Amino acid sequence: MSDDFLSRLREEPRPEFKDRLEGRLHEIDLRESERRQAPSSYRRFVPALAGVSLAAALALAFSLEPVRAAAREFLDLFRVKRFAAVPVDPARLERLAKSGLDFKSLVADQIEVVVAPQEPEVVGSPEAGAAVAGITARQPSVLPRRAELAETKVGRLGSFRVRLDTAKLEALALAAGADEIEIPAWWNGMTIDVEMPPVLAMRYARPVAPGDTRPAGDPGYVFMQSTIPQVDLPEGFDLAAIGRLGLRVSGMSAEEALSFSRAIDWRTTLLVPVMVQGGTFREVDVAGAQGLLVSYESPVRPTSEGTARRPRQQSLLLWSTADQAFAITGPGGGMDLLEMAQSIR
Amino acid sequence: MGGVRILEWLAPAVPTEGVDWATVYREEMPRVFNYFRYRGLDRTLAEDLTSATFEKAWRARDRYRRERAAVSTWLLAIARNVAIDHFRRSRPEVPFVEDAAGDEETPEMAALRAGQSLRLGELLLELPERERELLALKYGADATNRAIATLTGLSESNVGTILHRTVVSLRSRWDEGGPQ
Repeated sequence: MSDDFLSRLREEPRPEFKDRLEGRLHEIDLRESERRQAPSSYRRFVPALAGVSLAAALALAFSLEPVRAAAREFLDLFRVKRFAAVPVDPARLERLAKSGLDFKSLVADQIEVVVAPQEPEVVGSPEAGAAVAGITARQPSVLPRRAELAETKVGRLGSFRVRLDTAKLEALALAAGADEIEIPAWWNGMTIDVEMPPVLAMRYARPVAPGDTRPAGDPGYVFMQSTIPQVDLPEGFDLAAIGRLGLRVSGMSAEEALSFSRAIDWRTTLLVPVMVQGGTFREVDVAGAQGLLVSYESPVRPTSEGTARRPRQQSLLLWSTADQAFAITGPGGGMDLLEMAQSIR
Repeated sequence: MGGVRILEWLAPAVPTEGVDWATVYREEMPRVFNYFRYRGLDRTLAEDLTSATFEKAWRARDRYRRERAAVSTWLLAIARNVAIDHFRRSRPEVPFVEDAAGDEETPEMAALRAGQSLRLGELLLELPERERELLALKYGADATNRAIATLTGLSESNVGTILHRTVVSLRSRWDEGGPQ
């Protein structure tokens, strides 16, 4: 009995599918590689968190101010459907800065603020804040033990315009050793408009109880939500090229940057730069959406008594739906944040 | 940089227990893809589920132990779970509705091939779940009877018997459809 009629219908997968999947697997490999090269059994990173508009609203601290500015301008350009962590080597950035690389001149000076960010406005309730922000407020039904809603704010992050200067971009590429990246001459003077949506931020805190030894001023948990930022890109603009430049500046090799670049959809993936020190990150599932959980040690800051506060672990959880982006920050390793996120309706 | 070279470059970072993952991808991906095609899924869905399978596998490579099963069997076990999850979520299944036309094919050949593919898909969908699964493993994934036995929990001889009966039945119905 011949079974040729069954076998002959096998087909080869499309080459473009094969390449795309290989790219995704490469992305997994990159993350695995980072994890294995870390000093502990778990990845250790301190987040820069710069490009994340929601995180920017919270003004999470990170160590290198120029990096924050540089990364923010890159990362806000992407339309968010998913988040990916990119390790940033602070030693490399310091070396670049010491070698004369002026991040402000080469990157930040290409940014023109169209509508300036405003101080967050305190509102009476999440519903009131949602009306101001133009969104439907979602709230967690599960909160960390003893936490309750303490404050609701709406932040306005404004809008800005990136006017590309190819001479500066080429100088940046050269300084980063990324001379393999071509900066097209026609980019010069091109503008990219980014409009940041209002951010609704709800802060949950534990009322101070007798015997509570937590340091004063602990922000508790902050849940932020906004619509997806609007980005107008010129037709034909190659996001991957400028993204690769950002990756090279962050410390990736040319090969790594090229492979990573091929592995992601630049128009939908928001890269979250994280410092390769003192923290962890991992992908998580949030009600069916892919999220990114970043844990890190908060920077040491002097207390009001003038003594240094012991570093504490903080976490940030990011995820998005088709039309909204969400973030929760709070103390600890992230389990509280995940429980909150899974309960959000 | 070609696709295989990417994996070769990454290989030192991954504990492989001697497994050449670049080769695994190159050789096994088409088999997993065809397993899903023979489960009656169109190309897009087959690609999606193949992606899901390999992404799961890549994340779990540390847990692969070659002394327990061949890597091809391990991948097919993951693929089967992915398929089970998919069919649990989404019914009814769709038959093969399109097929690849090779560059060397004439339009007539491509049309014939597409027609055969559609018809085979319809015949497969009429089979009971177990028989359809065995055929997908055998002819889509090119798995050996031994591997199929490992995956399904059936004995190797039982796999052979079921496959033989199923192929005879299918052959008969295929021929009833007229010259191909």
